Amino acid sequence: MELKVNGKVYVLKVAEDTPLLWAIREHLGFTGTKFGCGKGICGACTVLVDGEPTRSCITPISAVRGKNITTIEGIPSSHPIKRAWIELQVPQCGYCQPGQIVEAYALLSKNPRASKEEIVKVMSSHLCRCGTYNRILKAIQRAQQLIEVKA
Amino acid sequence: MITRRGFLKAGVSGLGLFFTEGGVKVLKAFQSDVLKPFAWANITRDNYLVVVSNKSEMGQGVHTGLSMLVADELNFPWERVRVQTAPAGEIYIDRKMGSQLTGGSTSLRNMHTHYRLLGATIREMLLLAASSSWKVPKESLRIDKGYVTDGKRKVSCGELWEIAIKLPVPQNPRLKTPKEFIYIGKNVPRIDVPEKVEGKAIFGIDVRLDGMVYALVERPPSFGSKLLSYDVSKAKKVDGFISAFPISTGLAICANSFESALKARQNIEVSWSKSPIQDFDDEKLKDFFLSKLQTKGQVARREGDPERVIQNSGKKVEAVYLLPYLYHATLEPMNCVAYVKEDECIVYAPIQGQTFALNLARSITGLPEDRIKIYTTYLGGGFGRKAQALFVGEAIEISKKLRKPVKLVYTREDDVKSGYYRPMNATLLRGAVDDKGKVSSLYFKIAVQSVFEWAGRPSPIDRAAVEGLENIPYQIPNLHVEYVKVDLPVSVWFWRSVGSTHNAFTLETFIDRLAKVAGRDPVDLRLELLKDPRAKKVVEVAAEKGGWGKKSNLGLAYHYSFGSHVAQVAEVSFDEKNSELKVHKVVCAIDLGPFVIHPGLVISQVEGAIMMGLSAALKEGVKFSNGGPSNLNFDTYPLLTMDEAPEVEVYIVKGDGPMGGVGEPGLPPVAPAVANALLWGYGIEVNQLPMTPDVLKSAISRR
Repeated sequence: MELKVNGKVYVLKVAEDTPLLWAIREHLGFTGTKFGCGKGICGACTVLVDGEPTRSCITPISAVRGKNITTIEGIPSSHPIKRAWIELQVPQCGYCQPGQIVEAYALLSKNPRASKEEIVKVMSSHLCRCGTYNRILKAIQRAQQLIEVKA
Repeated sequence: MITRRGFLKAGVSGLGLFFTEGGVKVLKAFQSDVLKPFAWANITRDNYLVVVSNKSEMGQGVHTGLSMLVADELNFPWERVRVQTAPAGEIYIDRKMGSQLTGGSTSLRNMHTHYRLLGATIREMLLLAASSSWKVPKESLRIDKGYVTDGKRKVSCGELWEIAIKLPVPQNPRLKTPKEFIYIGKNVPRIDVPEKVEGKAIFGIDVRLDGMVYALVERPPSFGSKLLSYDVSKAKKVDGFISAFPISTGLAICANSFESALKARQNIEVSWSKSPIQDFDDEKLKDFFLSKLQTKGQVARREGDPERVIQNSGKKVEAVYLLPYLYHATLEPMNCVAYVKEDECIVYAPIQGQTFALNLARSITGLPEDRIKIYTTYLGGGFGRKAQALFVGEAIEISKKLRKPVKLVYTREDDVKSGYYRPMNATLLRGAVDDKGKVSSLYFKIAVQSVFEWAGRPSPIDRAAVEGLENIPYQIPNLHVEYVKVDLPVSVWFWRSVGSTHNAFTLETFIDRLAKVAGRDPVDLRLELLKDPRAKKVVEVAAEKGGWGKKSNLGLAYHYSFGSHVAQVAEVSFDEKNSELKVHKVVCAIDLGPFVIHPGLVISQVEGAIMMGLSAALKEGVKFSNGGPSNLNFDTYPLLTMDEAPEVEVYIVKGDGPMGGVGEPGLPPVAPAVANALLWGYGIEVNQLPMTPDVLKSAISRR
């Protein structure tokens, strides 16, 4: 079937119940999206499906037919979220960070003025074993400033 | 440090190994134009300094820390510095550890002089090269922003490097004085951050080779069980299924995609032998550990006559603590790509222990060391777990059988079942204070498995078991530390900060209980008991910055581990109705000595260590049923989340002495600091971790 990832259409010859995660990572090579738990708990596999943050490890490819999938590789480097992440030196091991960034990107796309409480609520669905939570929060708030300035 | 032999040997077998594989499509991350002969660092023709790190990057920032030492001596522009992780090999062994291993908070401690000397050596070689080609004295030349110049002319280091490498290696090059440093002591941007933000960093699990087979290993549900039989007849109908066969740790299941391997596994019936601890559940384990406290162990340290002093004292405390097995929970599960051919073995893996992996590869394949190539990717978390290289051995075993490139991935459940936990333990504590309010006696007896035995280094007294107790920082006239070795088939291993994870908790909470019995302020009591002025200083700084004495809901703990002194103050609130504990803030003072290479790395490591320590203190513990773990994923083994993360402040105190470690020492004090805040703020004594509402509820009932 066809899969539209980061604006490009790919033809995949895999079973329709293949989890989106493995389709994009192993069959298409977008390895920025990570495998963490396989049950949609940790958030490392988060991608956007038509702009909605989605746990790709529990989403079969049949469910995203014709939809736009955005992975960490599809978010421009110049986007305030990525710039803020570098400015605040957020990542340690870095493994959960693509999922965190994709979630934060979706949040700010919908609600650029999200309050601290709203940010914490949304981001608490992602695990970071290195404990970068405070920096993630600060980076999102910094990205809000950068977006504000741009606007 | 940098011997001529080292350089010459590197000339033959150094960086070149990275890029000259026949038959395997080598990953881009491991490709480079750098085919120059130095093992430890090279400068490319287009003027990039490529530093080879013999330490694995697992988030601690070691690639940045090591390469900035080289770049500093060379005055090399930071944006033109790159790092590659060294392949496994004799030359890259950390001589102070005797192993190519990242662990024990030792990377910068053990390697900083080596990497500075490396930079200084390269600088001298470049200056010599320019001096001989321009026929001017070396003293008239300097390096500025990646160019050698005499003030009029300039030539890039990369261009000069090709001449420089043919010159004799200078011995004893001059190291910069601190005044000359351009990077050391400053927060240069981490070298790994941009690619991690872009999703382009290559972790072990991201490695893909042409014609690769995917493998899972079905492992026993109980520790100590062995594979008896298996039936693959149903799995054969699964599209893409290749084969299933026994390996040393369980049943390997191979398919041409990961999803097919998962499906095949669901269709394979496996039976296992009964475990020697088949009937062990949480209760049974608890009773087992408590019963071990009734037995006699090995005395690790003894001063005076602690039992008599305690018996005769009017003010005494006794407690029994029980702390659980902890799972490392690296977000990247164990995984490995291996390709074993007739005459060659190639491995890509996220590993902390290259020497262990190399030894395993040698024994499984029978190949000589020069036919084994082990490349370390980024690690999606390590915390000690990825120093245990059995997962590399599994991938090698499977590839050897199939003679194909194999990618082995543990699912989260496999990862938990694979074990190698921080050991569970029970500790009996007794103590007394004298009429003047001084701690007169302490008695510790800890029942715990030996992590060093599991690491193949048994000894009568496991160093990790008594870490922090045997070398107790407090001056106490009567002291007893006893270790009861527990034998169980549950595999145990080094977990970030190792024995200090449990002993700091028992010791530091017990000190506060004694302070309470004595009617003393616990900070004053510590300052009286501590000998080392560096220890006193961090306690004072943490107390002052943490607002000690201004609020009642604070707790302080101090611990010395991995060469660093750390004190933390935790501020908590406790909702008695729901038994809910909230940690609002942790203030930390750390003294890792006078030479702080990158303060920003220290702060992020301490922040992370506090979160991990708090996660364990509040939420974590492997649960057991039928002799194996029963909480196999993050729904039942929860980790700390952002809404539970306290505000953290870190203060670096520069004391005298050798450089201390950073990755681990920030972890041990947080759990006792939180428990101490519960003691002083709410009168609750915590004898058991994690501090879940249930545990706290029962602690209230004992109040």
